[in-house]
Amino acid sequence: MSAVPSAENAEPNLTPMLDMVFQLVTFFMLVINFQAASLDMSLKLPIIGSARPADKGAEDLLVLNVNKAGKVMMYGNEQDPVTFVANEAKEARLKLELSGKKVKKGDELPSLVVVRADLGTPFEMLNKVLTECQSQGFRKFALRAMTKAGDSKS
Amino acid sequence: MSRKRKKHRNKQEDVTLNLAAMLDMAFQLLAFFILTFKPAPVEGQINLNLPPPRPIAPLNAEVKPDDVDEGNGPAPAHTLTITISSAGNGQVASMQVGLAKLFDGPLNRDRLRMLDRRLKDVFAIEGKPYDQVLLRVGKSLGYGELMKIIDVCTKQKMADGTPVNKISFVELTEK
Repeated sequence: MSAVPSAENAEPNLTPMLDMVFQLVTFFMLVINFQAASLDMSLKLPIIGSARPADKGAEDLLVLNVNKAGKVMMYGNEQDPVTFVANEAKEARLKLELSGKKVKKGDELPSLVVVRADLGTPFEMLNKVLTECQSQGFRKFALRAMTKAGDSKS
Repeated sequence: MSRKRKKHRNKQEDVTLNLAAMLDMAFQLLAFFILTFKPAPVEGQINLNLPPPRPIAPLNAEVKPDDVDEGNGPAPAHTLTITISSAGNGQVASMQVGLAKLFDGPLNRDRLRMLDRRLKDVFAIEGKPYDQVLLRVGKSLGYGELMKIIDVCTKQKMADGTPVNKISFVELTEK
């Protein structure tokens, strides 16, 4: 009698599928960008064609998402810019002190302040944030804008 | 006896792993990454160095020997002042480069070109060492409009070819 293949033996070979799935998982794990989490996508940035691409160096970044009301948005929460910047500066000074450098309030800090403001943010509010940063010792600033019109839609 | 042992060995070699559980988990991970995947927007930036405020010398002021910087403090800068008054809706109401009025009304392409031409003329003059631009900006001017003006300013080059990258802001007190 010829052997009839039993239902138990009819198993597909899952190895190639597993291989492919792991490849995809690896791809998404490598592509995931945790820095983007600090960007508030509800803000509408202005479109400036000549804006240079953002540096992806190892520089210490302080991202400030400034909404129309002049508040700093951090993970969906509105925060007072003065206290937020003061806390960040304190942290930056502590970091420097831990690395052996003595710094006091107002001394130059190495962090780059990235300002992402809504295109409707009045200058009065923006200036408050910039002045506070300057008084805390931040000197390097980057004003963010979209490079293409299509990117401003979030 | 030996035959029986051989058969037993062959049975052990046939052991296969059940990959279904691992595949389930891998699909779960894949679903998570696909659902949370959001490509970062393509953003550009304009880099500025904003040092603490320092005294502004008028262009025709004579430099006294005592004023020369000896390492004790910053030297007075030759500053080109651009005054931008704002309308209530966040648009530009009027613009003035130095002491001369450039235009009245909101920004558009032609007016931006006009500003660009004026700045090119100003920075091309030899012997007038402007080394920074001071923007006196109206309180309610929107960030979008301000960025357009900063964009034009950062494109300028001084007579010696170095780009203009010292830009500072002051709030304009409007009536």
